[in-house]
Amino acid sequence: MSQWLTQVIDDAKRVDDFLAPMRQQALSKLQTQGWPHARSEEWRFTPLTSIKERAVESSSVAENAALASNYDLPQIDGLNAIDLVFVDGVLVTDLSDISLPSGLSVQPLSGAPNSAQSKITSLFGHVKPVRHVFGLVNDALCQQGVYIEVDESANIDTPVRIVNLATKDCDAHTRVLVNLGKNSQLKVVEHGSGNVASFTTAFAEYVIGENASLEHYRFALFTGNAKQVGGSHFSLQDSAKLNSTVVSYGSELSRLDVDIIHAGEHANAKMNAIYLLAEGEFFDLHSTIEHTMPNGTTEENARGIIGDRARAVFSGRIHIHRDAQKTLAELNNRNLLLSRRAMINTKPELEIYADDVKCAHGATVAEIEEKALYYLLSRGIKRSKALVMLNFGFIQELVNAIDDESIRTWLLPMLSERFASMEVK
Amino acid sequence: MLKINNLHASVEDKVILKGLNLEVKPGEVHAIMGPNGAGKSTLGYVLSGRDGYEVQDGDVSFKGEDLFEMEIEDRASKGLFLAFQYPVEIPGVSNMEFMKESVNATREQRGDEPLSATEFLKKAKEACKQVQLPLEFLKRGVNEGFSGGEKKRNEIMQMILLQPSLCILDESDSGLDVDALQVVANGVNSQRDSARSFIIITHYQRLLDYIKPDFVHILADGKIVKTGDASLAHQIEKEGYAFLGKEYEGVSA
Repeated sequence: MSQWLTQVIDDAKRVDDFLAPMRQQALSKLQTQGWPHARSEEWRFTPLTSIKERAVESSSVAENAALASNYDLPQIDGLNAIDLVFVDGVLVTDLSDISLPSGLSVQPLSGAPNSAQSKITSLFGHVKPVRHVFGLVNDALCQQGVYIEVDESANIDTPVRIVNLATKDCDAHTRVLVNLGKNSQLKVVEHGSGNVASFTTAFAEYVIGENASLEHYRFALFTGNAKQVGGSHFSLQDSAKLNSTVVSYGSELSRLDVDIIHAGEHANAKMNAIYLLAEGEFFDLHSTIEHTMPNGTTEENARGIIGDRARAVFSGRIHIHRDAQKTLAELNNRNLLLSRRAMINTKPELEIYADDVKCAHGATVAEIEEKALYYLLSRGIKRSKALVMLNFGFIQELVNAIDDESIRTWLLPMLSERFASMEVK
Repeated sequence: MLKINNLHASVEDKVILKGLNLEVKPGEVHAIMGPNGAGKSTLGYVLSGRDGYEVQDGDVSFKGEDLFEMEIEDRASKGLFLAFQYPVEIPGVSNMEFMKESVNATREQRGDEPLSATEFLKKAKEACKQVQLPLEFLKRGVNEGFSGGEKKRNEIMQMILLQPSLCILDESDSGLDVDALQVVANGVNSQRDSARSFIIITHYQRLLDYIKPDFVHILADGKIVKTGDASLAHQIEKEGYAFLGKEYEGVSA
């Protein structure tokens, strides 16, 4: 057992609210499962030692209220979103103070009104798989979060952005629950960042109702010593549509789990992931797509650039259950290593139990082509520009595939600058 | 323009250039001929700054500046141009985007405003016509799927667009039929003026029928061993390199 987990379990025992039954379940799982074994497939490549022996340091709500007016909110020009901001794990946005379009409601997790409690209870922990130790910790301990609901047939134009900022060395646990009613539409941006020593667990669960459509973004821009583990988990009902884009940097420890569950027929999921790891950074993306019902489609593209001494892990699994006939699923992972000491552990996996399906998966790893680079340089093109021209196209393709124009416009220069500043060795 | 003094250079620990001297003044055309392995291509690479080509001794000044103090891209944007013998294919980067970036990098160096997409397109189309490449070549990946001759013409097109002050042509004639050879030669001749200099590295005399050199140098074993006027090229064509010594007997040009 780890020192950190022991204390977390102790702390969690003192949490008492309407989610108690779920918290109890999570606690008992944590106690029986304990700390992940070093050889556990799920955590094999993820460096957990810094968490294992960490001292639990929670941020008090009162303390953070003071911070509420004193943080730098990352801006995405033109997005004009409803911002729900967590600073060091504490919700600092006054929910009673924001104006919401009709058809959209937002409730806090702690202190949710009675009317929302049963809805929250029926979603909390029901989409996110139980296998994840930090997900269980979040289940047991997390009191800071929001419940977002979109009414049936409501088409919400204003995006909702959930921001997680890490500003000091403490543990931050946040939770997002989103319920999209039948035929509704919503755009959600999960935006995390920080570069100071800290530890964030941020999990989000989405139920996308029948024929509803979710445009989802997760920006995990933690760097330096900011450790983060989190996930976005989706349950797609009949004919539901998900279009998700994950963009991540790397840090001392950065791990995201994305689960997409086709719980209804004819659901359509698209997931693109981009990771750009600068020198020495670490990022781990685990994605699992569960096709439990027929006629679903999934298209997943994960692409990354890995700098000197940085390491990326990609584990992408598509699981097609026996009843999921006529499934179309594609999974692809492409990587570019910038140095001999850059590393990727990639594992695309297909597990198919239905016989009438169309599936493909693949992974590639490439290095900088010196000859092409020399050719561009010899024509006067600056090294940073040449590198972007030669090696950024496959990332740019995914950025260009993003529906939201303001996000595209914000992301492209930010990512190409980060890439151009990375050293090729 | 260019002054090479006692240049020694090696590739993978093998010494290739062994004390090369050459001076090129503005407006001059110098041809460098020589048997295989003499170091002709190495000279081009060393001057352009390719990785892996190590300078052991000697110095080179380009427009009065120490060439070896400059990065590859700075040499290029200051006017040094090497037309490659085997231009690399770069799928994924369009010829158009590539040339626009390179032209604008050079303009920036000169303190000129970058060309707009429309302005550039106009120039690119003209240059494309001049080297007789179909316009759709601008949209294709850099050299992607181009034949040997098309690659050479693409190099000349870049030269025309970049307006360099020193052009080094590394066997731009090899593998070309007579028509293509003429296109390349016409491209070069259209750029000749009193300020622009050329170093034409070639194995054969025939390109020099179309591009009249002011000087012909024979490079052998890493050094320039003989210098003459255009007639020297004819002599080599007829007599081969036997005059260089016993080991070159029977080596034809």
